[in-house]
Amino acid sequence: MFDQLFFYLDFPFVRYAIIVGTLISLCSSLLGVTLVLKRYSYIGDGLSHVAFGALAIAAVLKVTNNMLIILPVTIAVAILLLCGGKDARIKGDAAIAMVSAGALAIGYLLMNIFSSSANVAGDVCTTLFGSMSILTLKPTDVYLCVALSIVVLVTFVLFYHKIFAITFDENFARATGVNVTLFNLLIAIIIAVIIVLAMNLVGALLVSALVVFPALSAMRIFKSFFSVTVAAAVISVICSLAGILVAILAGTPVGSTIVAMDIVAFLICFITSS
Amino acid sequence: MYKVFSRITIIAILCIFSLSTSSVAAENISANHVDLDLTRMSSTMVYSMVFQMVTEPQKFVGKRIKMKGAFSSYYDEESKRRFFGCVIKDALACCSQGLAFETFKPRKYPKDFPSEGSSITIIGRFDYEKEEDGIGFPIIRNAIFIK
Repeated sequence: MFDQLFFYLDFPFVRYAIIVGTLISLCSSLLGVTLVLKRYSYIGDGLSHVAFGALAIAAVLKVTNNMLIILPVTIAVAILLLCGGKDARIKGDAAIAMVSAGALAIGYLLMNIFSSSANVAGDVCTTLFGSMSILTLKPTDVYLCVALSIVVLVTFVLFYHKIFAITFDENFARATGVNVTLFNLLIAIIIAVIIVLAMNLVGALLVSALVVFPALSAMRIFKSFFSVTVAAAVISVICSLAGILVAILAGTPVGSTIVAMDIVAFLICFITSS
Repeated sequence: MYKVFSRITIIAILCIFSLSTSSVAAENISANHVDLDLTRMSSTMVYSMVFQMVTEPQKFVGKRIKMKGAFSSYYDEESKRRFFGCVIKDALACCSQGLAFETFKPRKYPKDFPSEGSSITIIGRFDYEKEEDGIGFPIIRNAIFIK
């Protein structure tokens, strides 16, 4: 088995998958804790469906670098959902459900009507479940992912205390002088970037698992915000690495295998804590 | 004079025969040699590897490839040419892709070929065939079927 693994590691695209997988799982788990505590666990799903819709638009417009459309559209919707606040006419889970289903439907419709690909079902399936995307990355995709991940990590570390404050009590944070609107906007942008990156790893339908499972697993064992965040990051990275390696060794779909690893980790943490 | 001529002829025939047998032997040796054995890889790796071959064929040109997949054929009306392919599926079985191949010895279709969709294993040299419009496609040349 190890011979086979080292044989696979000789190929650059396997190494790219491991690098990108580690970075994406690290970033998603950091923000996952905040999103779970703010009761926005399902936003990952909604935004990934929006990213799918944007991908369909990019395909229809034949845009070479589809990130030019996916990233701005996903960020815009993330800002609308997270920063809409109490004044929004359609609130919380209803807004996420509406955006999620609507974007998925429009994306699939556009791909069916305008797609030039011979295998629309295959394209949709790959985008939704991330069957092979992570193993078909080009060096430019890896550089982009590394750059965006560094931006996310640096932002999280720099504004850790502010993010901590608005995660638990926005009113208290506002009273202590924190610009809550600005930091909600920052979180919205970061989570949109993470979702777009994570689509490559597990596909649009499974993105929520990357955001939610590591945070919930860590919360079973640890109690402070800092320890939960660190534990979530460690669990997420281990599960992603294990998932990628099992997928390439056993020939299973990468995204589903990573999520299966996250479920196993959650069960272990759940049993350990009880 | 006749004896000398006949001896030279015999030696020449023997030389040609030995050359042809050595080339057959060399072909047999090279037929067993494989640079990239896709049959040893998991389905996830095979799909990813074929994707690399299709998107970056220059990295694989000249290498001997062994692969297993489903047999497929297609007749192109424009070029009046029949293409043969070895098709593989991804782990979700929703996407498939394949490589075209040319057999080492000319065969008659469909008599000398497997039935559509049946499992085949081939060994051949990876190449990139450029068409007149500059667009090309990867193809496995001198392919032999392995039972």
